[in-house]
Amino acid sequence: MSAFLYLVATTWRNRVVARVRRARSPRYAAALVVGALYVWTFLLRPTRGGGALSFLLGQPTEMLVTVLVVLTLMGSWIFGSDTTALAFSHAELSILFPAPVSRRALIGYKLFRSQIAVVINALIWVFVLRRGGTDVASPLRAIALWVLFSTMSLHRLGSALVRSSWREHGVAGRRRHRWSILVFAAVGLAIIIAIAQGWTELRFAGGPAEFFRTLGRVLARPPALLGLYPFLLVVQPTFAHSTAQWALRIGPALAVLALHVVWVLNSDTAFEDAAIEASAERARRVEARSRRRAGTTGGPRPATGTIALAATGHPALAIFWKNMLCLRRTAQLRVFVGPIAIAIAIGAATSTGAAEPGDIFAATAVALAGMLLVFGGRLIRNDLRHDMQHLPLLKVLPISPTHVVIAEVASAALPMALLQMVLVAAAYLATLNSDLVPMPLAVRHAIILAAPFVILGVNAALITVQNATAVLFPGWIRLGPHVSTGVEALGQNVLATAANLIALAIALIVPLLVVYFTIGPITEPSATSLTFAALLASAVLALEIYAATRIVGRAFASAEPLEIE
Amino acid sequence: MIAVRELTKLYGDFTAVRSLSFDVGPGEVLGLVGPNGAGKTTTLRCLAGIIAPSGGTVSIAGHEIQREPLAAKRALAFIPDEPHLFDYLSVEEHLRFIARLYGVTNVEERMPPLLDELELGEKRRALPGELSRGMRQKLAIACGLLHDPAVLILDEPLTGLDPGGMRRMRATIAARAAAGSAVILSSHLLHLVEELCSKLLVLRRGQCAAYGPLEEIIGAHPELAGRSLEDIFLALTADAPAV
Repeated sequence: MSAFLYLVATTWRNRVVARVRRARSPRYAAALVVGALYVWTFLLRPTRGGGALSFLLGQPTEMLVTVLVVLTLMGSWIFGSDTTALAFSHAELSILFPAPVSRRALIGYKLFRSQIAVVINALIWVFVLRRGGTDVASPLRAIALWVLFSTMSLHRLGSALVRSSWREHGVAGRRRHRWSILVFAAVGLAIIIAIAQGWTELRFAGGPAEFFRTLGRVLARPPALLGLYPFLLVVQPTFAHSTAQWALRIGPALAVLALHVVWVLNSDTAFEDAAIEASAERARRVEARSRRRAGTTGGPRPATGTIALAATGHPALAIFWKNMLCLRRTAQLRVFVGPIAIAIAIGAATSTGAAEPGDIFAATAVALAGMLLVFGGRLIRNDLRHDMQHLPLLKVLPISPTHVVIAEVASAALPMALLQMVLVAAAYLATLNSDLVPMPLAVRHAIILAAPFVILGVNAALITVQNATAVLFPGWIRLGPHVSTGVEALGQNVLATAANLIALAIALIVPLLVVYFTIGPITEPSATSLTFAALLASAVLALEIYAATRIVGRAFASAEPLEIE
Repeated sequence: MIAVRELTKLYGDFTAVRSLSFDVGPGEVLGLVGPNGAGKTTTLRCLAGIIAPSGGTVSIAGHEIQREPLAAKRALAFIPDEPHLFDYLSVEEHLRFIARLYGVTNVEERMPPLLDELELGEKRRALPGELSRGMRQKLAIACGLLHDPAVLILDEPLTGLDPGGMRRMRATIAARAAAGSAVILSSHLLHLVEELCSKLLVLRRGQCAAYGPLEEIIGAHPELAGRSLEDIFLALTADAPAV
């Protein structure tokens, strides 16, 4: 193991040194200062009321968080997980696999590497949550979060190993892992039965807050409690209100974690049988094949079907066409599972007491559209966040850098905006005859008219920010087609999303001033004036985005492949 | 066709390429040779517009690549040693994409013979991940040749090709030059350089160690007369003052 420790230590040291060296460049140095200020403000700044999300600790959220954990883990069973901990790099495959090292030692090495990300993530969340009015010291909360995230990480890895065994062994593999499958199926069934039993209570809960309180109560009863209990044990230490309570809860949580370690190491035997023989070449092929089959960290799906491209026309459309094929072949449905589940919960919570299914559907659709507006740009990456990996190829092409950037931004912004527009339109149609919507029909007409422009503008703004980051700081950010979805990346994702929203807020200052000066003087603005103001604001935002793409285009033109290589 | 004047590329304090000047006319093949780290790839990347020179000018088919990058890029094809391909586009889709960008309107006519020539006909719907290293290199070559470039820049073009592929690639380079293209060929395969190139540019530590037809280079260094190209290369790139 000493060789592995050396590898991990030197890899991290060299990575940090390389990133720090980049800070000698004025661009990276400025980003470092802004980033440090941001982290200090968001995470480290002393506050009286706790951290950015400390309110979570003051609510009876244990059970709801447990359900979210279970849903996340279910997603990895159904859709396959981000098997980061399983995916060996080409260097690891070509050097470590032919080396006289046991398979278990290799898996242990990968688990150890994933622990670094888990620990960083736990530390970020300690600062995000702070103490939240409890007596539990930060180090203890860090341990609780580490147990939670480690268990989730191991569970996702275990599910990936089981799925790998299914693929390799078929019926025999399924039989070998029947207990894992049965346990999870039982947990899912228990949750469904509990919600069905408590449906009347949930439907007539008095408002969103009461809905979630009721949901917590419903899930805290058998049979859901029995199914959720092992996961609740892992979640509970994080929500302990005192050191004594933490001490009582951490033991069982550690026991669940230990069980997961045993499970993963036993699954490893199956994986060893299934996946990798002594030859590195065989390992490389198996890795590529399993990545493609699982649709996880790697290759695109086979090129079945295509999209027509005319031989003549603006070259930027060729970039857009290419990226649509990329989206079609690399999109991961599983990244939408979380937002959909949360949107359903919000939709149900905000339409409590409603008798019409249309109202519940509309509330869910609007909630999902809102969630995709905020998070959608991070869920698909068929733009420069992926294409910067192909920088030398893109730079040889006879197309202006600004057009490249516009086409790349449009590639992600248009599909995401289209999805949101469909959801908003569906909500509009579902509630045309409803009396429960708290706004006049004329205003709803105005919203549906202006929605395409506003939605497209906001999406484009958010995605331009993310593309600008990829172009300006390719040496610091993770490039590739897939968003990091593991628990290991949860903290970083929160920080990145918050930073993007701050950038969007800055971009929206001028458009919002336009809205204010357009309809501000009017006491009760008409639907027409609302539409006009929204369209004007969208136009101003579009101008801002265009100016930004020109700046990013100039940065793209001067970007050096060495920054990425 | 290709005119390079005082080309310099700095990376911080490090000079990767210093004051390089050379020309490649229509029908000429320039062999770019030098030891590892001599600045060959950096030079080629400057010529292809991938990186910006720190000084000097590069003109491709009469267009200065810094001032008229699009016109210059339309005239050239750059085939790197490591094939850069989009892993989500099939073989056929790569060619359609390139055709649209370079304005090749008769792509449907040009594609089948090109794919057959490079033995990619049966792989037209395959993604790069499903191709061998050599096949990926052939696809990169097909993308480069599709628009009949006036300037062809090749960085180790035979890497990964099988003997048959190597022979066809040599024939293709010779045919392109005969058709009037200006070709720059960077390679460590000195027999390939000797066979195809009408003149040589020998780089050492980012500077020109020798430039011109092989006969002229030997003329300037009488002590190299009668020696193999390998010996000439080693002698020119040994630690000695650059010319």
